[in-house]
Amino acid sequence: MRFLLFIFIFFGVLKVHANVVGPDSVSLKTVIKLDSTKVDLRKFDKSKLDAFAKEADFKYDDAPVGLSLWDRFWRWFWDLIGHALSNKMSGGLIKYLIIIVFVGLAVFIVLKIIGADLKIFSHKSQIVEVPYSESNDNIHEINFNEQIEKAIENSNYRLAVRLLYLRSLKKLSDTNLIHWLPEKTNQTYISEINDPDKKREFSKLTHQFEYVWYGEFFIDRENFNTIKDTFERFNLYSS
Amino acid sequence: MEPEIFNERTDLTELNQAVDQIRQTLSSIIIGQKETIDFLIAALLADGHILLEGVPGVAKTLSAKLVAKSIDASFSRIQFTPDLMPSDVLGTSVFDPRSSSFEYRKGPIFGHIILVDEINRAPAKTQSALFEVMEERQITVDGNTYQMDEPFMVLATQNPIEQEGTYRLPEAQLDRFLFKIEVKYPTLEEEIIILQNQHQQKLEVEINAVKAVLSIDKIKKCRAIIKALHVEPKLIEYAARITHETRNNKSLYLGASPRASLAMINSAKAVAAMQGRDFVTPEDIIKVAAPVLAHRIMLTPDKEMEGLTPADIVAQIIQKLEIPR
Repeated sequence: MRFLLFIFIFFGVLKVHANVVGPDSVSLKTVIKLDSTKVDLRKFDKSKLDAFAKEADFKYDDAPVGLSLWDRFWRWFWDLIGHALSNKMSGGLIKYLIIIVFVGLAVFIVLKIIGADLKIFSHKSQIVEVPYSESNDNIHEINFNEQIEKAIENSNYRLAVRLLYLRSLKKLSDTNLIHWLPEKTNQTYISEINDPDKKREFSKLTHQFEYVWYGEFFIDRENFNTIKDTFERFNLYSS
Repeated sequence: MEPEIFNERTDLTELNQAVDQIRQTLSSIIIGQKETIDFLIAALLADGHILLEGVPGVAKTLSAKLVAKSIDASFSRIQFTPDLMPSDVLGTSVFDPRSSSFEYRKGPIFGHIILVDEINRAPAKTQSALFEVMEERQITVDGNTYQMDEPFMVLATQNPIEQEGTYRLPEAQLDRFLFKIEVKYPTLEEEIIILQNQHQQKLEVEINAVKAVLSIDKIKKCRAIIKALHVEPKLIEYAARITHETRNNKSLYLGASPRASLAMINSAKAVAAMQGRDFVTPEDIIKVAAPVLAHRIMLTPDKEMEGLTPADIVAQIIQKLEIPR
């Protein structure tokens, strides 16, 4: 390794020395030769040049600028903005309006990215009637009365109990007794209720719901009515 | 009111009695560690193996020994050491000069409850000797296959702190444990009781007085009941989703296998039965998710550097998923 390093440095130094010494040792002798042959001056045919000049391919000065429809739209748009802004009367107002729109857009994008609840701007979300099958997990979008009636009509008491339970969760959420999130378990909701009586009553409802929904216990009309009464009593009591 | 509406489909009386008995036996000696005791019972009922991890002196070995003692079954203890060979665990064929043939001598793995103490002290070669027996309940030696008697349960202990003379368990072996339970320090009050019991020399007397409260037949019966418990299809999907999320999580280098999903459902059934239910709820799945998954997944190096644990990631996944309801 050391030997290689020595060789490298040795030849490096030699090369540098050669470069420095080189130019002084070379003397150049320049000989200029004269060309004395006769030159024939050729002239272009003017008529041919004119003919070429008339051809469309050689007309560069008035070639049309190829603006697409999209480019034309943007030229029109910016011209419009430019005219509006240059107007002494409306210019200031429009300028601030544009700034507000852009700032608002930026805030909206940031809020969307951080996942903030945008419903605070609209005070309360508008209730949209969404078909049950599409909104079975958003308790704020289900038309409970209609869906429960439909489930009872179809003798689907299991589904009816589920909807009764979801309606109770919505009631608790509306009265701020629980903070609804689909990721929370039933036991979490029970632990969020501070009132001991309501907690006990809701525990009973949860027990019934779990037996019917997760346990898939069979219930007939009579049993369903008993369960429904319990749920309705709780809803009256908690509202 | 509920018993009138929901007539019990499955008779869990015998199972709950057995659980209460074993829980009482263990709790009378092991102060605190209620969660560990519950998971030990759940693993026994779900036909799974358990890995107890904790610093020295938190009653890991004692817990495992007491489980074995409270069951009327054979018990073996194997102390894993760096020089232990697979044949020391499985057994070996010895030449019998009288019959001029090789005779198989069974190793200590043949038993019902096997305590593998300090499992990470043996090299990978010896640890891999447990692969077949833990998964298939059989061993193959010299071309012959030997079936294990039911129940067969491996209770292994390991210390997470010590690095000198220890070997990390292979992923394939970790996957064979139903739960990895982290045995934590007792609280101040619990420690005072431990000291008082020791001071009054009650502990030794109580350990010696422990009698088997569960027979092999009863365990088999309980396991059969648990296997037949009801799981709503959406909950099966929920368990599968949890496992699936571990495979797509950016914080994880290795996700869990389908064996983890099976383990989650089986152990959730056991937890449900221990609470007197013949059906599983989302809470049962959530309860077992971390002990089932945490040892089966691997963090990326940067997340490990940040101080995150696999259990943290499992908790994050659960918080993200909607509860089927």
